[in-house]
Amino acid sequence: MSRAQLAGDPAASEGARRLLALFFLGLVLFLYAPIAVLAVFSFNDGDVVFPLQGFTLHWYRDALTNPVLLGALRRSVIVAAVSSVIAVGLGVLAATALVRRRFAGKAAFSALVFSPLVVPYLVFGVSLLVLFTALDKVLTATMGVYIGLGLHAIVIGHVVVSLPYTVLTIMPLLERLSRSLDEAARDLGAGAWQTFRRVTVPLLMPAIVSSFLIAFTLSFDEYAIASFLAGTEPTWPVYLFAQLRVPSLLPQLVAVSSIVLVASVLLVVSAEVGRRLAERRYGAPAPVA
Amino acid sequence: MAATVARGGPPRTRAERWGILGLLSGPLLWLTLFFLVPVGFVAAYSFGLVRIFPTDGGPSLGDWERFLLGRSIYTGLFWKSVAMSLTVSIAVVLLAYPVGYYLALCVRKRKYVLLLLIIAPFLTSFLLRVLAWKVILGDRGVVNSLLYWLHVRAPEDPVPWLLYSRFTVMLVLAYVWVPFVALPIFASLDNLDRSLLEAAGDLGAGRWRTFLRVTLPLSFPGVTAAFVFVFVPTIGEFVTPQLVGGTAGYMYGNAINDLFTKGLDWQSGSVLAMFLLLVVAALMMLFGRWVQVRSVAA
Repeated sequence: MSRAQLAGDPAASEGARRLLALFFLGLVLFLYAPIAVLAVFSFNDGDVVFPLQGFTLHWYRDALTNPVLLGALRRSVIVAAVSSVIAVGLGVLAATALVRRRFAGKAAFSALVFSPLVVPYLVFGVSLLVLFTALDKVLTATMGVYIGLGLHAIVIGHVVVSLPYTVLTIMPLLERLSRSLDEAARDLGAGAWQTFRRVTVPLLMPAIVSSFLIAFTLSFDEYAIASFLAGTEPTWPVYLFAQLRVPSLLPQLVAVSSIVLVASVLLVVSAEVGRRLAERRYGAPAPVA
Repeated sequence: MAATVARGGPPRTRAERWGILGLLSGPLLWLTLFFLVPVGFVAAYSFGLVRIFPTDGGPSLGDWERFLLGRSIYTGLFWKSVAMSLTVSIAVVLLAYPVGYYLALCVRKRKYVLLLLIIAPFLTSFLLRVLAWKVILGDRGVVNSLLYWLHVRAPEDPVPWLLYSRFTVMLVLAYVWVPFVALPIFASLDNLDRSLLEAAGDLGAGRWRTFLRVTLPLSFPGVTAAFVFVFVPTIGEFVTPQLVGGTAGYMYGNAINDLFTKGLDWQSGSVLAMFLLLVVAALMMLFGRWVQVRSVAA
């Protein structure tokens, strides 16, 4: 072992560091090149095949005037908004229970809340499909009514899969917030509910906003569960998948996807920046994930 | 799950008990009604304990027996999918590890920004990212066009295995999941106490030995979490094979999807779905103690 090797950074030699940097760059290229190729095609005056034809914006114009496409987008916005509001609400409750309270069966409750993370969406999607179908059979036979599939079914499924993410986003901030703030409110005469609503929730706002955005993005892009539950009301991913086989529509779909892509990246990056700013304001160092 | 120790004592007053009930009832009710009940119902359905369609059979172990004893066509398909998912999970960890190592241990400034650069693609449309590969690998896609232009291949003779093959499915799945696993691997390496590396060096270990004997074992939880979080969704994958797999890339998840949407043999589909759930549950029991759910929250 030479002295030169022992000196310096124990994690990587200068050469290894350069090699790792190169590998990092390569991976970034691998990750972004396909997305870039697709974005380029949204401005291409022709089919989605090489060689490129010429610059155009008409795919964007066509897409933004296509009523079926806009309908699917609108449905996705509704499903994502409703499901993430519910997921955040339930997430605040579950996170508060997990961080601030002691109760019997806490380990089981925590396992239940996080288990949707490891259940394949395919299995969960068909489970809800089977349940809704069976329920409708019973309802039509006994009362002559039925619920049917559609946006409400997708919302129900998306809340379940978003919940672990909202809880995980809210828990760290809740752990860092001083309990004495709650206790001070109680000493000043506030009831449990008033303390929760007037003290805890406002202090949690940054985490609530970022968990909402995470849940919204997850739901907006979710295909597997929605594909089983959409019925006759396709959301954007379900519509997108169904139309992928129609080559003439492909450029339009790519154009809309590019808009959605830019919007979702902006949304998530701003959420992350906001969360870190808020954490700084509370005077604690930003922890790793 | 990292247990969170509440600092307060057990509930003392009646009001506190009601408060806990108020916090728990919403999430519990939703998860019971819309998660436990549907999954339990499908489990019962797979044994014929409930009937939905007139064609459904009565209570029987027949479907399960056929499947488990390897007499069904789906058993082979399951192992093919396991092999594909394993390959993808290993490839993804091998791709993400050097990046996590570089960002956590070699970069001092802006490492979170660079990490975000790796993670960001995961937040963009999943279908879109799969679709991009279809455009790149198609007969008139980027790769084939380049080969025509270089006169390596003739335009009437595109590379056949580029699209609609097992290889394509694995390539695209690896592409989709790399951003997701970079986070747990990075977190485990970033939390590592750097003075341990220096201590190993002071005691005479070279960098390779320090890596193999100190860094790698300490990052094991992150690697395990990454592995499980790729394996679980890829083993249940059916969208990517449908788009880029063709018949060669057909996976177990496609069989489940087809049984529910095309074949309308829901009972066999339920057996397949429940078996998949059992496999995942077994995996979680084996590896669960290393899998920190927290590591997936960005």
